[in-house]
Amino acid sequence: MAKTYKDLREFLATLEEEGQLVRVKEEVNPEPDIGAAGRAASRVPNGPAVLFEKIKGYKGQVVTNVHGSWQNHALMMGMPKDTSTKAQFEELNRRWDKFPIPPNVVTRDEAPCKQNTMSEDINLFEVLPLYRINEQDGGFFISKASVVSGDPEFPDDFNKQNVGTYRIQVKDKDRLGIQALAMHDIAVQLEKAERKNERLPIAIALGNTPLVTFMASTPVGYSQNEYEFVGALQDGVPTDIVKADTAPHLFVPAGAEVVLEGYIIPRVRVVEGPFGEFPGSYSGARLQCEVQITHITYRTDPIFENLYLGMPWTEIDYLMALNTSVPLYKQIKESFPEVVAVNAMYSHGIGVIISTKCRYGGYAKGVAMRLLSTPHGMPYSKIVIIVDEYVDPFNLEQVMWALTTRVQPSKDVTLIENAAGMPLDPSSYPAGMTTKMIIDATTPVPPEPNPRTVELLKDPVDTEKYIAIIRDLQKAMEDK
Amino acid sequence: MKCPRCDSEKTRTMVKSPVGDVWEVFVCENCWYSWRSTETPVVIEKFKLTDEIIATLGVIPPIPPLDI
Repeated sequence: MAKTYKDLREFLATLEEEGQLVRVKEEVNPEPDIGAAGRAASRVPNGPAVLFEKIKGYKGQVVTNVHGSWQNHALMMGMPKDTSTKAQFEELNRRWDKFPIPPNVVTRDEAPCKQNTMSEDINLFEVLPLYRINEQDGGFFISKASVVSGDPEFPDDFNKQNVGTYRIQVKDKDRLGIQALAMHDIAVQLEKAERKNERLPIAIALGNTPLVTFMASTPVGYSQNEYEFVGALQDGVPTDIVKADTAPHLFVPAGAEVVLEGYIIPRVRVVEGPFGEFPGSYSGARLQCEVQITHITYRTDPIFENLYLGMPWTEIDYLMALNTSVPLYKQIKESFPEVVAVNAMYSHGIGVIISTKCRYGGYAKGVAMRLLSTPHGMPYSKIVIIVDEYVDPFNLEQVMWALTTRVQPSKDVTLIENAAGMPLDPSSYPAGMTTKMIIDATTPVPPEPNPRTVELLKDPVDTEKYIAIIRDLQKAMEDK
Repeated sequence: MKCPRCDSEKTRTMVKSPVGDVWEVFVCENCWYSWRSTETPVVIEKFKLTDEIIATLGVIPPIPPLDI
């Protein structure tokens, strides 16, 4: 059974034991120190989490870059920290099939997130050491929240309860801005509430067990519950949740460091942003929704977990890498079992590489179009590369080999114009409209002609044996 | 005190540091830019706002019609 974590604190302890968490003990300024450390940590090989113990003017601690390396990602899954990306992808796929694993609902007394309550004179700054992440951000942002909301039409339908990550700007001591893009699940719920001019209750959970955060940023079906996926990804171990205090139809992670409860104010939009976003550029100011916070619960001495995002790769790119790849793989594989792997790690699936066996001519293009008709792939995926089944899509050298030796651009590159795009991709114009590009880098199969068939090079016999011999010789030299 | 982004005078203190009297956070009630007293905010020209710009900003998500 894989190691699992009840809460963020257990995971931080493991990261520290494994040399994947460092502590800054000296007092730091909120700006620019915390943002800078988040940027720096993702540049350091095997980037560790960085825990700030003292922040000027604040009570609590901040941790950043918790998911920000493949080592931390592997430890999140309870795997050895040197596990390869491809092996982590395969293990995630295996566990994914255990869905659904219903969560364990604990009582209020059992839930650490309820240790302390603030329901009057709400002041976010008393609980959270908030800070500006990037210089041109319009304020202080909460970048790693798990936002829980329900479907107003089916408030008691647990499957339609959504746990998602949305960017949040601090507007006041008790008020937040939130970005609910039309393509996101929360926007479906918000529209139903706003049509009736009703408040949409939400609970914002911060500092969660790492697979809750992972699932909150995973694109799953509207009626698939994220907590049931957390149990699956914990290899069958249910995750603990508890009822929110002000909206008992909502459930929050029991071990959360902080839970902000309130509601989205209906039919109101206020200036929000700019915010340095995951495509590596700022998204400008827009009129966006606002959240009134009415109630906060928090653990004693809460730790504020937040992430840095900027020019890729940063922590968010690790967080949204395999959790974008796996659901897309599952959805495409259902229609086309020949598909071997999907690498959707580039800017949340704007760039995707799929390896597949091709059953008949034109197959690769069909697989690409299936990706472009998945709920996530339709708006997000723009550059789609299809490679043969023996090419590892996580190995970019192999992918470049396929591109350079398998693509005849005049027939293998297809453009689909005036299609849905990701509005934060600055090349989409107008924002949210784009041209898709499919590159078929597979070997033609009948009835597509392949007039110049080739014999692929194979490794000489004993190559594997010599890999071991050379490694041993290298090691012997190092030991000298 | 003027807002560094929209030059409005409608600014106020949002909050004082919870520990010690070491900083304040200010907010503009016209464009909702916020900044800490320990920062030297420099809003680049591209991100400056005027009332005219604010009136034409994109609305996310669109506000749906009311059900009758």
